[in-house]
Parts: sequence; structure tokens; C-alpha cells
Amino acid sequence: MWKSLCSLFKKDCRMMMSGKFFLVALGSLVLYTLFINFGYVKFMDAQLYNVYLYDPAGMQTEVSSLVRPVSSLEELNNALASDTNGVGIDASGKTPHVLFYAATEKADRHRTDYALSLLSPDGNDTAKTVGSNSPEMKQRREITCELLFIEIVAVGFLGIASVLFKEKQMGVIRVHAIMPLHKSLFVCSKIMLFLITDLVFAALMVLFNVGLDGMSVLPAVLVQTAILSLIMALAGFGCTMLLRDFKQFSLAYLVIALFAATPVFLAANTSVKMAWIDYHPFYHVYMGLKNAFFGVPTTNPVYYAGAIGAIILLFLLVEAAFRKEMGKEG
Amino acid sequence: MKMIEVKNLTFSYGKDKQALHGLNFSVADGEIFGFLGPNGSGKSTTQKILTGILKGHGGEVSLFGKDLRTVQTQEFFQQIGVLFEFPYLYANLSAVDNLNYFASFYPKEQLRDVKELLEELEFKKDFLNKPVSSYSKGMRQRVSMARALISNPKLLFLDEPTSGLDPAGAVLFRKIIEEERQKGTTVFLTTHNMLDADLLCDRVAFITNGNIVALDTPQNLKEKNSNHRIVVSYLYQGKRKEQTIEAPELKAGIPFAYDEIISIHSQEPTLEDVFIQYTGRGLS
Repeated sequence: MWKSLCSLFKKDCRMMMSGKFFLVALGSLVLYTLFINFGYVKFMDAQLYNVYLYDPAGMQTEVSSLVRPVSSLEELNNALASDTNGVGIDASGKTPHVLFYAATEKADRHRTDYALSLLSPDGNDTAKTVGSNSPEMKQRREITCELLFIEIVAVGFLGIASVLFKEKQMGVIRVHAIMPLHKSLFVCSKIMLFLITDLVFAALMVLFNVGLDGMSVLPAVLVQTAILSLIMALAGFGCTMLLRDFKQFSLAYLVIALFAATPVFLAANTSVKMAWIDYHPFYHVYMGLKNAFFGVPTTNPVYYAGAIGAIILLFLLVEAAFRKEMGKEG
Repeated sequence: MKMIEVKNLTFSYGKDKQALHGLNFSVADGEIFGFLGPNGSGKSTTQKILTGILKGHGGEVSLFGKDLRTVQTQEFFQQIGVLFEFPYLYANLSAVDNLNYFASFYPKEQLRDVKELLEELEFKKDFLNKPVSSYSKGMRQRVSMARALISNPKLLFLDEPTSGLDPAGAVLFRKIIEEERQKGTTVFLTTHNMLDADLLCDRVAFITNGNIVALDTPQNLKEKNSNHRIVVSYLYQGKRKEQTIEAPELKAGIPFAYDEIISIHSQEPTLEDVFIQYTGRGLS
């Protein structure tokens, strides 16, 4: 059995090399690393929002030194017109009112919270510091997690399809039907190869973009990467077996990518709230990965039981589809 | 010993798509058995069932003296070789790499030498290490044949073995199949090519619409369906003439006056004529 698995694995490596898959993965790694180190971190290193306070009666007594007082409402409006990211506080009434030049109700709550926290730095509105990451390290971990998730969901899923569609086109899958080997090894070999590739990719992403600080979270990150990689590789394998050609596959890919990635990113990284997101399986996988990056590994056994169950179910479905493909006409 | 025994074999692809309607035949150890039929007649379905690719058949099928449903172990696949209708190979790998890859699933002691086998199949040496994508159809067919033979199978399933070959290649393949028979290999040959069937097969079965309509040696089938007439061309008084006579008339010699016999031709039908007689359809 091991001999057969080694033969399949070696052949799959050659197929992936000839399909330039490793080159694409390496290219992605270089691109992501350059983007994070020379683009994202610098781009995100923004100044704090300026907070302007109009308090004619001097009611606010514990105001932070970061707040800029103004003497009239007109001056407050002019300040916001010239500094459109700034936050204005009109404390002329009993309760301070927050003013923006432009804002959306859900997405700009953090600006409100920040401004109000400066009115009473020791009060209830003060933000709590979670963890010991510097702002840059937090950004590095966040973006590395997001790009790793995209890479596995998109590139891994497409990668397995590109290799398998070639084999399907050449008809060689049918030859394996009459070979003296356990047919499930054909599936295992491919899944194993993509898993190893994804794990190496994840380790390098952490090393290059989070640095040596990331080594402490690497085991937990690899566990979550493995779960996501297995699910996506099996889903890609199954779709390739069921769909006729790469054109059909790209449509399915669009649906899956949109279904998997878009709501998850929105729910996890913005203040957009979706009540149903708890029922979205990829949300839990993404949060598992994100928590792992921030040193809070997921310990919920239900999550792991669900992930293992999904992987086993997908494997069985893929195996059935693979056997059906082997029996098809040439 | 019977290498293949099929009793009342049925198979259906769906509720109303019955492909095989109770086939009965057997193939003896060391025999070359031809399975002939037009497209969609059930040839490939039968071969797929026999090679263990299609499951869910009805009736009884035994190979190597064991029931097919229980025999499909790795040991079973080690004993069979299959040449598919199309040369399924890894296009990015060379002939040698393809064969080494497929050979790696068999025990080493039963394998033939890759390069010797390709030489036997008159494969061009310059192409040994070039990718299959650069090969002609005939070269691909040679590599596929090598794949089917590499494990020294006891039972060989060949689907259109001479397809895509030039006449010299077809002669070579027939010679190789004959050599396999001499080694004791049983061959189940599925083909459209009547010449292959006539020259190679000990017995042939004609299948149409999922039924076997005739099964015998090619010679018997032709004789049974012959009109037993003979055409004699001859010269008489300086003129060329031709007469058709009944075969028994020859017992007493040529029953007409002649100066010189030019040729005598029996009117025995070809295997294809016999096939059309039985099925009412051509093979293409």
C-alpha cells in the first residue's frame, strides 16, 4: 500500500510541477509578503482621528489632552469640513452629541467610541487593551490570516482542479480502475500533496510576515490550515469529478468563493452584523484561523468534531464520484 | 479450465436502459475469444463488467474459476491486463516514465523490462524519453499495449488493439497477440476489425442489442453460412469464360469443357458478411 501511495504521490508532484502549480504558489507567497511588508503595514499606519470638542459651559472636566477644543459650533463645523476623518463632539447640551462630516451608521461606530472614550479616559467608554501586540503586529497577524485564508480557499481549490481536469482529459483516471491498488489511495495522494503544500505555505507566510514572534502560534495556525486545506481540496476534487470541464468548474468556483469568502470577511472584519453567520461553516473555520493567529486557539470539541465529520463526509462523496468517473466511457 | 464463464449476464444503466439481456458464453484458458458487435451493442459494457469497472450486474460471472463479485481483490487486478480503446497515457510524461509509473503497482517479480518490451513493439528509440504529447497515434498505441503487457497478465482484455496502426503495425500487433497465446495467456478481444478477428480468434461471439446472436469459430461461421458455390474462370476455344458451380459437382472433376483453368474461387462469405446475416447491421 505504501509503495502504491508513494508512486501516486511522486506522479502527482510531477503533474503539479508540470502544471506550474508550485510556481504559482511561490509567486503568491512573494506577492503577499511584499504587499504586507512594503504596502499594507505602512498604509495602515494611519494617524489617530482628531477629536474636536465644543464645550461652552466647560462641563467636561476629565478630557484627554488629545482632544482639540473649539470655541463655537461654526468653528467645529469648519474643523470637520477640513478634516473629514475627524470627529466632532457638541457638548453644549446635557448629553454630548457626536458629529461627522460623513459616516455610515454601522461602519463608523468605532470612531464614536473612540471620541467618547477621550471625554473620560478613566470611565466606562475607555477601550480595553487586549493582548500584548503592537498595532503593527496586530495588523500583520490580521492580514496574514486573511491572505492565507484566501490562498487556500481560492488557489488550493483551483489548483487541485487544474491537475485533475488534465488527468480527466487524458483519460488516465480510467486506467487506475484496473490497477492493483486501493482506489482511495488516488484521492488520498492528491489531498495529502495539497495539504503538505498548504502547510508549508502557511508556515512560510507566518515566518515572513509575522516574524519569529509568530512561531509560538504556528502549531495552532497549522491545525486550522490543515482543516481548511482538507475541506477545500476535497471540495475541489468532488467538483472536478462531477463537472464536465474547467469552464463549468470556474462557475462553480465563483459561487463557492462568494459563498465561502465574502460573508465571512464581512462578518469577521467589519462591523457588519449578520445574524445567520453562526450557521456558516466557513465562518467558524476562519475564526479558528484568526484566533490561532492571535494566540487564542479554538478548544471547542464541537468545532473539531464538526470539522472531522465534514472531512469524512466529503471524502466518502469524493470517493463515490471518483469511482463513477472511472467507469465512464472513453 | 474455463478462464471466463458468463451465465445469464444482465446489466442496466437505468430503469429503462437495459444494456445486456442475459449473455451466456465461456472462454477457455489460453483461448483468444473475439467479441464483435456494432457501436452500442453492449461490447464495452461486457468488458467493463469483466474487468471489474462496472458493478451491479445480474447473473453469474466467474473469472479464474471464482465469482467476480468476490474475486476483485488486488490479486485479481495483478493477473489481468487491459488495453482500452483509446491510448490513455500521461501526456507530460515519457513512454518510459508512464510505463515505470503503471508498473510500480505490480509486484517486481512479475514485471517485464520496460525497454525490452518497447523494443519488441518496435517503438522508436529516439522517443523513449520524450513526452507522450509528441507521439503519433501509432506510437501511443504501442505504449498502451506495453502497459497492458508489462505485468505478464494471465488474462488480457484488448479493445481495438490495431486501431490507429499502419498495416505493418497491425501485423506486428497480431504477431504479439499470437505470441501471448503461445505463452498461455487468455485473450478477450473486442474489435470492429474483422481481419483481426478472423486471423487471431479461436472463437468469436456476435453481439447486438445486448444479445449474443452467434458464437463459434470463424471458420465454422463462414462455412455454415456459405452458399457452397465455386466460380471457375477458364479459357475455351480462345475465349475467356466464367461459370459458377455447386461445390459437390467438383467431386467428379470440372463438369464442363475447357482448354485451360485460369482460377477457381470459392464463394465463402467473409466474417463481416456473416455478421450482417446474423444481425442485419454492419460493424461500423
